[in-house]
Amino acid sequence: MKTSKLILSFILSITLFAQVSFAQIASTGALLTQSAAVSSKEKLIETITRKDVVEKFEQMGVDPKVIEARVASMTDEEASKIAYQIDTLPAGADAGMSIIGAIVFIFIVLLITDILGVTKVFNFTRPITN
Amino acid sequence: MKLHRALYLLFASAVMIFSSGCAPKSPLPADKHYSSSAIRVPFVAPRSELCASSSIEMLSLHWQSVGTYLPRLSLAELDSRTLIPAKGGTLQIELIAAARANGLLAYPLEPTYAALFSELEAGHPVVVLLNRAYSWYPLWHYAPITGYDAKAQAIRMHYADTPDEAVPIGTFAALWERSGNWGVVLLPPTELPTSARADKFLQAAYDLEKTGMRAEAITAYETALLRWPEDTSFLFAAGNAYYASHRLSRAEENYRKIVRIDPLHSLALNNLADLLCRSGRAEEALELLDQAKSSDARTQALIKATREEIGRGCDPLFKSPHQENSSLSH
Repeated sequence: MKTSKLILSFILSITLFAQVSFAQIASTGALLTQSAAVSSKEKLIETITRKDVVEKFEQMGVDPKVIEARVASMTDEEASKIAYQIDTLPAGADAGMSIIGAIVFIFIVLLITDILGVTKVFNFTRPITN
Repeated sequence: MKLHRALYLLFASAVMIFSSGCAPKSPLPADKHYSSSAIRVPFVAPRSELCASSSIEMLSLHWQSVGTYLPRLSLAELDSRTLIPAKGGTLQIELIAAARANGLLAYPLEPTYAALFSELEAGHPVVVLLNRAYSWYPLWHYAPITGYDAKAQAIRMHYADTPDEAVPIGTFAALWERSGNWGVVLLPPTELPTSARADKFLQAAYDLEKTGMRAEAITAYETALLRWPEDTSFLFAAGNAYYASHRLSRAEENYRKIVRIDPLHSLALNNLADLLCRSGRAEEALELLDQAKSSDARTQALIKATREEIGRGCDPLFKSPHQENSSLSH
């Protein structure tokens, strides 16, 4: 909890510095979203979203030393996508399947087809259809 | 007897797969010819769960070898910025965010073979997300594509532990389709993707700026202006970025160019007026602001605020530039 508060205050200070210093300037984002300025309500939502990402990362075992840099390197849209969808987003990894993994995998597939009554490979299974 | 039964099972499933049309087919239109390409991308051996980091590193090494690009992060830093231990891998968003933090522009590839091949022919390696197994049992993997062998109809890629493996196009298509043909072009901001659309490239460059990479973003805007010199959006983005980094004459130049192209560009008029007022030219600022008209309520409010500020007398520019520099460019 302590680290997340520290990180949050850091993120807050960055976003406030970045946005408050130019009160009268239309940002490039204004051009892209067809609206001139970010309201304070939107800024608040954004801050809460980033706090959610920090907490999710802490739960998922991300190295606390880099959480702050990782969250700061995301855009608002990216942070909110992670905050709401992290459980269903795919995560690319190097692992191909090991031979043992593949054997276990085939065993489970055959077990399921046995139980469904499509196959009868093992003597100990009882199909659910009968 | 048992062996016989196992063979029978194998044969039956093979027949089923072939007859159901599941065997990989080429996804390329028969009347189109794509030429071969081979990009020399240094190979980084795979490490468990870190293929996103390795992919960024391979492309980063490639761009170092062909140009003036210098990475911002080490491989160890890329590793720690991409891995989520509980997921055992890297999210697409974080691959993009880490690449940006490394000083690269991340342009999302159109999910088509035409876009993929146009990048490869231009010498731009592309990182793709593949599903090595089934949609109901996914094994996700990032890999850089390093070229195409037209004769063998195979995609060349640094696939897991094999550099420049030739993956038949049909197999590649099956793996790639399961990620919705997801791919990203990672390149230094001095380069433009050949398949780039102006609006999407602007978004990618602005994402760099928003995440604290303003110098890289300015380079990207200038690169885009070489291809689209009259595009007021890039002129506006560049003007704002110069303004924010206190390069006032460059900012003013960009805003004025927009107004020459589009005299009613209210946002550019507003920002130019602000700049002029803050650099002691309030009268001209007011004249320009009078030309700014908009039907958008927020823009109207902004113009009104700028007008009031000019009436009060604007703050001189940047009393403490060091403060802003240190908070934005880390």
